Amino acid sequence: MTSDVATSTAYGHICFAYDDPATLDSRAVAFLAAGLAAGEQVWFVAPGTRDALARRLDGLPGLDDSLRRGAARLVSTGQTYRADEPFDPETQVRAYAAATEAALAAGHTGLRLVAEATLLVRTPAQRNVFARYEHLIDRYMHRRPMSAICAYDRRELGEPAIAELACMHPETNANVLFRLHSCGPAEGAVALAGELDPSNHRLFAAALERADLRPVDGELVVEAARLRFIDHRCLMQLRDHARRLGVTAVLRTSRSAAARLVELLDLADIRVEVTR
Amino acid sequence: MRTGAAAGHTGYFHEAIFFDSDEHLLAVVLPFLLGGVEAGEPAVVGFGQRNADLVRRALPPDSGVTFLPGGDVYVRPTAAIRSYRQLLASYVADGAQQIRIVGELPTAGLGSTWDWWARYESAINHAYDDFPLWSMCAYDTRIASEQVLEDVARTHPRVALPDGTHLPIGVYTEPRSYLTEPRPMLLDPVQRSAPMVELTDPTPAQARAAVYTADRGQLPADDVEDLVVAVSETVTNALRHGRPPMRMSIWSADDRIVVAVNDAGEGPADPFAGLLPATSGSPGGLGLWISYQSCNHVAMHRGPEGFTLRLTAGNPHFPV
Repeated sequence: MTSDVATSTAYGHICFAYDDPATLDSRAVAFLAAGLAAGEQVWFVAPGTRDALARRLDGLPGLDDSLRRGAARLVSTGQTYRADEPFDPETQVRAYAAATEAALAAGHTGLRLVAEATLLVRTPAQRNVFARYEHLIDRYMHRRPMSAICAYDRRELGEPAIAELACMHPETNANVLFRLHSCGPAEGAVALAGELDPSNHRLFAAALERADLRPVDGELVVEAARLRFIDHRCLMQLRDHARRLGVTAVLRTSRSAAARLVELLDLADIRVEVTR
Repeated sequence: MRTGAAAGHTGYFHEAIFFDSDEHLLAVVLPFLLGGVEAGEPAVVGFGQRNADLVRRALPPDSGVTFLPGGDVYVRPTAAIRSYRQLLASYVADGAQQIRIVGELPTAGLGSTWDWWARYESAINHAYDDFPLWSMCAYDTRIASEQVLEDVARTHPRVALPDGTHLPIGVYTEPRSYLTEPRPMLLDPVQRSAPMVELTDPTPAQARAAVYTADRGQLPADDVEDLVVAVSETVTNALRHGRPPMRMSIWSADDRIVVAVNDAGEGPADPFAGLLPATSGSPGGLGLWISYQSCNHVAMHRGPEGFTLRLTAGNPHFPV
């Protein structure tokens, strides 16, 4: 578990890896109860029948009433992620955007959900697509009142597979050293948190590619106030990624060592702005 | 066309000056510099304040000799190689046929950090050999120890004498031999106390976190950040290229943090490891090169207990 999860960004896109489904259920109950208390519409999205899902949320105060009022919904995974069709990130984001706007129109303050998505990320190809989706929906959640826990079964997927998805969330309990997530357009194209070193430089390259970042005015600005460490390999990867986009990478960090590495290695097409 | 003693020589013409008086130093240095100016060659002085003033006063006004600012170039050997290579390349780009430089290490460099400067003196025979450089490294025999003077003799092919002669030094040893000889590692006195942290086979992330726990605010934050970079690279190298078990120990003193990383392997095979970026793609070369520029001292030791790299942030100078 990374140490800065608790102080992470507040918009609420959390990757939750679990070994025991009961820990997910109790986390879901607490998360959704907070949503109901805040006037949000809440969804529990998981495989299984409606009754099975209701049983898993047993501890949620006023569940029956919330279900009757339409403040809470139980969604069997097949209903929202269609297993018979290839998963399309943009279609799925549009669906959640519509659901969020509908919840707002119905008088709720937003949409909050717990989604058990293990079924959708079993193969490397599925994870590649779903990691792209995770960043797309992260961008949506950053600007609209939607929040989510994305839950993944560690027993089924294993730690490395979960890391591919966890690193696309601002918050996670999974064993992943860095996170790449959304930030405001004034702050940059994307935010980086945690630590980047040889243990994760391939994952970092994949995350950059999957995030499909959009440079502005010839620069790919990375907001890295919560990046605690970046090594020369990952700086070069960021530089290479910016080069492929035909722009300069700009890393805004409080860590001056990154600036010295860029100078030492004479790296072109990347600039480190030290902010203190 | 090169002029003077190095006329007809290809590459680096590397000499030592063993002086015991101002007169001796000036007798070698003045004709060297003025001969360079006369021949239209860049003539550069990289001395500390005292001897730079001595030479400046002895030269005619507007002599055309260039004085490098302060002694900044000799803070860390790898950085010195990097900045001298940049300087030499710019002179060559401007058409220089030969560049003449006299330099001296700060006195502090002749003590507990001499080991990495001795490696520097040897490595530059190779690192500057692609330039038409004639340089003299001045050592004050009243200050330098027997060990230092022996290393200087073994790392300089020639000596420049005050009578104007230039003689080969018989004990000169090729860098690839000299740099692979076993060298003892002087024990930093802080290593006589129990380490503040000891870890076996830490991940780089655990090693970085351990450095922060040893930081009691005694060093500037940037120095700690640079040590973290060096430790991360060192531990990564030990995990990738060394042999387990890897042990990391950290000592935290009032003016420094000292980190030793030991593994059961042989250490880097490249004799220039740390001093030059790995040109042949030798494993771990770039990380070690970065570490050499991120710390105030790096010491290496091969022994029966394997390979040890010791990194010092803060003040690396202790009585020898």
